[in-house]
Amino acid sequence: MTGEVLFSVREVSQKLGGAQILDRVSFDVHDRTRAGQTTGQIIGILGPSGVGKTRLIRIIAALDAPDSGSVVGIQGAPIEPGQVGVVFQDYPLLRHRTVRSNLEVAGIANGLSRAAAQGRAKKLLDLFRLGDRGSYYPAQLSGGQRQRVAIAQQIVCPKRLLLMDEPFSGLDPSALEEVMHLVVEVANMDELNTIGIVTHDIRAAMAVSDTLFMLGRDRTPDGKWLPGARIQETYDLVERGLAWRDDVMELPAFSSLEKEIRQKFKQL
Amino acid sequence: MSTLSTRGLARLFLPNRVIRSSTALALVAFWMATVLTVWLLSPFASLPTPGEVWTALGALWWRHGMGPELFTTMKLILHALALTVAISMALSYATMIAFFRPLVAAVSKLRFLGLTGLVFPFTLVTGGGYSLKVALLTFGMTTFFVTSMAQVVLEIPRVAFDHMRVLGASERRIFWEVVVRGTLDRALDVLRQNAAIGWAMITMVEGISRAEGGIGAMILNQNKHFLLAEVYAILLVILVLGLLMDYGMGVLTDLLCPYGRLERVRR
Ligand SMILES: Nc1ncnc2c1ncn2[C@@H]1O[C@H](COP(=O)(O)OP(=O)(O)OP(=O)(O)O)[C@@H](O)[C@H]1O
Ligand SMILES: [Mg+2]
Repeated sequence: MTGEVLFSVREVSQKLGGAQILDRVSFDVHDRTRAGQTTGQIIGILGPSGVGKTRLIRIIAALDAPDSGSVVGIQGAPIEPGQVGVVFQDYPLLRHRTVRSNLEVAGIANGLSRAAAQGRAKKLLDLFRLGDRGSYYPAQLSGGQRQRVAIAQQIVCPKRLLLMDEPFSGLDPSALEEVMHLVVEVANMDELNTIGIVTHDIRAAMAVSDTLFMLGRDRTPDGKWLPGARIQETYDLVERGLAWRDDVMELPAFSSLEKEIRQKFKQL
Repeated sequence: MSTLSTRGLARLFLPNRVIRSSTALALVAFWMATVLTVWLLSPFASLPTPGEVWTALGALWWRHGMGPELFTTMKLILHALALTVAISMALSYATMIAFFRPLVAAVSKLRFLGLTGLVFPFTLVTGGGYSLKVALLTFGMTTFFVTSMAQVVLEIPRVAFDHMRVLGASERRIFWEVVVRGTLDRALDVLRQNAAIGWAMITMVEGISRAEGGIGAMILNQNKHFLLAEVYAILLVILVLGLLMDYGMGVLTDLLCPYGRLERVRR
């Protein structure tokens, strides 16, 4: 991994209700560069259900404080709430605002003028194919539309890091493909953008990410869980030639790595 | 009713079915007719007939000045309701701040007291008369309003706040968007329920000093002389007024908060 470190999660531990959930989770996100092409970063954080992925997101976004350890941005700067975007698992939106107004308020909350926020909202509605849904209330949206609004809302004022909690769950194949494209598109809007995808969908995560981190617990020799999840494995997909390719899923190396990861996943 | 097929008729007795609005209207007519029939055929001789109640209503309205009395009561209730809303909303929003939570919980618990025992201390404070009545009504309604509204505020899920926080909103904006705007439709619903509580308390409150009149005082006067037809005529007026207010507030809620209705439709 070459480029500058954009984000570091350093030895993050968290205990909840007396149980160790995260145990010294550490990883770095490096700037990925490609000649002649703006390349954002997409990292996938894989882990089985209940391992602590959502808790880790909350800590990285500075919504919760870890018991120990820290999360820092470029050149070691601490992260404040509001600096890291999060698309939450169930796509919360302001129920009393229309889709358009949900996007506008995100702009205004970040200091955009009303006119600028309206401009951004309009642009994003078109980009996310929600142009005809601008005047709908969240209660009138389908699951997939709701997700797109939630993502759009987070990039009205793009943050350097956007975390997405299970963005691939409950989508039909074409919607899944669409969201995957969207993730890549948003990441590549800026060289320093990073999107963190937190999921148990191995295939989708592999297809869009440049780096995969596997979060999991250790086991005793007789197969019992030890408390506390940590990064068990890091896969550099750029090094393996499995990043930034539309046809990546058809490569034999993709399939064999998928198999390897699945195998590993089962043991976590 | 002839438009109802057998299957349509069967639907009326199945749980969780959506029915047409015309059918719903027919259902209401059916139940009203039933109640009226039971009333007409009622074996209780002391129960005044609809005709008697209607005559009494006319007499009360034209000869006993029911109109102005009604106005007196309406003014009292609306005054108290306005104060209730101001105090209760402030208290409910205050549950956001740990310091105020015990105070809000205490106010909510006061609803068990009822008003009768409070007349004396309230008289000392307000000096009696109109302000005493406003104070008592406000107190009574506030205890209920705070109970419901504080619950609404407490039930806002944590993710609603976090969602705004990651968007970069200030705590003040979060309070406005999530706590105030986000619960407006529920606040209006609570207000709607509590207006009814005001009507329920009105007889007691206006009974304290009947000289100032009001519809509640009127009821008590008729009741004393066993003028049952008159009593029911007044009750009927209160019912109709209450329903009108309720309907009006429902319309207002839908107008201000169309999303609330969208979340409620069952399909
Ligand atoms: N408030 C809490 N108190 C105690 N334990 C908690 C609390 N919140 C979460 N946990 C536990 O922490 C663990 C991790 O939860 P988390 O929500 O991060 O899982 P996850 O990896 O996101 O799972 P999923 O993929 O199912 O969303 C779970 O085992 C959960 O039971
Ligand atoms: Mg989760």
